[in-house]
Amino acid sequence: MSSGRRQRLWRLISDRSLSEDVAISPGLVCEVCAGTLAVTGVGLSIISDPRRWEPVSSTTVVSARLEELQLTLGEGPCVDAFESGGPVLIADLDADAHLARWPAFAQAAAEAGVAALFAFPLVSGGIRVGVLDLYRDRAGELSSAELADALVFADLALLMLLNTQAGESLDGFDGTQDGLSGPRAEVYQATGMVSVQLAVSLGEAFARMRGYAFIHDLVLSEVAREVVGRRLRFEPEERA
Amino acid sequence: MDGVNVAREQQLADTFVALADTLVDDFDPVDFLHMLAERCVALLDVDAAGLMLADQRGALRVVASSTEQARLVELFQLQNDEGPCLECFRTGQPVAHPDLAQAEQRWPQFAPAAHGAGFAAVQALPMRLRNEVIGAMNMFLATPRSLDDTALRVGQALVDVATIGLLHERNLRHSETLAEQLQTALNSRVTIEQAKGVLAERLQIDMDQAFATLRDYARSQQRRLSELALSVADGSEDVIGMVQSPHRVSRPEP
Repeated sequence: MSSGRRQRLWRLISDRSLSEDVAISPGLVCEVCAGTLAVTGVGLSIISDPRRWEPVSSTTVVSARLEELQLTLGEGPCVDAFESGGPVLIADLDADAHLARWPAFAQAAAEAGVAALFAFPLVSGGIRVGVLDLYRDRAGELSSAELADALVFADLALLMLLNTQAGESLDGFDGTQDGLSGPRAEVYQATGMVSVQLAVSLGEAFARMRGYAFIHDLVLSEVAREVVGRRLRFEPEERA
Repeated sequence: MDGVNVAREQQLADTFVALADTLVDDFDPVDFLHMLAERCVALLDVDAAGLMLADQRGALRVVASSTEQARLVELFQLQNDEGPCLECFRTGQPVAHPDLAQAEQRWPQFAPAAHGAGFAAVQALPMRLRNEVIGAMNMFLATPRSLDDTALRVGQALVDVATIGLLHERNLRHSETLAEQLQTALNSRVTIEQAKGVLAERLQIDMDQAFATLRDYARSQQRRLSELALSVADGSEDVIGMVQSPHRVSRPEP
């Protein structure tokens, strides 16, 4: 079911990478997302300890302005999305409720030409890496198909960022591989176990498990099952 | 006097009170759904219940179940490819089978797996909001039978309360749409699974015990399950402290 959408969207990204001879990157995800969905612009910020916002990519000047606003004002749908772990979908920024909720941000964003804003946190449980922001210059909701696509783009951006944070190159990145949005609990449980075994962050633990899967030609869920079944332990000297 | 009906009435009343108490308070959606799954088992006299939510990308994910035993949770999870839960989600209608030993043709993977795990019958009820189906409640029975009409009505009402609970939380947290609530609840569940992993490894216990530890500690400390899960998962919680004083009672300063 879900894999069809993922494959289709990954294909758009990998095709664009080949045809325009550009590297796979979160920036490319933003470009393809902006070209696929009926939105005016897409931006992405990385949020690192301690709550430092680093705008990484934007497809329009307004997107760049939005990322910058969040950095300076520290409020807005994107901040809330990152903190709650769930998307914040604002179909009409001009509504009173939003002006009250984010007084400084709503005003500044409206002045910049933003009428609707959809913020997707790049998270997986306790792994929190950044936010993917989509905006429109006209009010209007995302359709359920657009929502599904946006969630998948966010999943892909998250995986890419975890890769790069673990020091891996994105050459040969496979967007159809097991990620962090699957239904199986073992991957998440194993991530927690490995983070303790290696005394590393959850994101790092996940990267190590992926590395192990790659080297041993296994699927991530198999590695997870072995970890949860206590047949596989990660020792600190185990390198991916 | 019908002793069974009086007992059931008492259970229904208790459940109603517990749900109302929760909904007027500051509650954690995953914890709430977990309680509902447990109540389902008690009230409807079934043997396991699991609540699955659509991840809005095309898959169903377990967000709460009456049992945390991996083997049984797996039976809910594998219904992403086939099974009563998937049919229920797609059609928005209740789906049941009173004798899984006869259901292999209908569900070639699911039926033998469920039967092999000791279940003889299954019932799925849709989580609906107006025209949208957002998930399903899946129940397993150890003996081959169907739920009677009263049980089905009570079951559907409990499932509807689950939906209300998710929506209600939205109002408290300014969320605009059900979509936001679903994703937040799903992410909460991921955090809980990660926290279970951390506890299982730190304390050398199984996932079932890990969940119980999390839940009991959250209750005794009056902390939200998701918030506790986050600090356990990211390593900032004193895990040993959770076990040493699971039912901390406040004492006056010496």
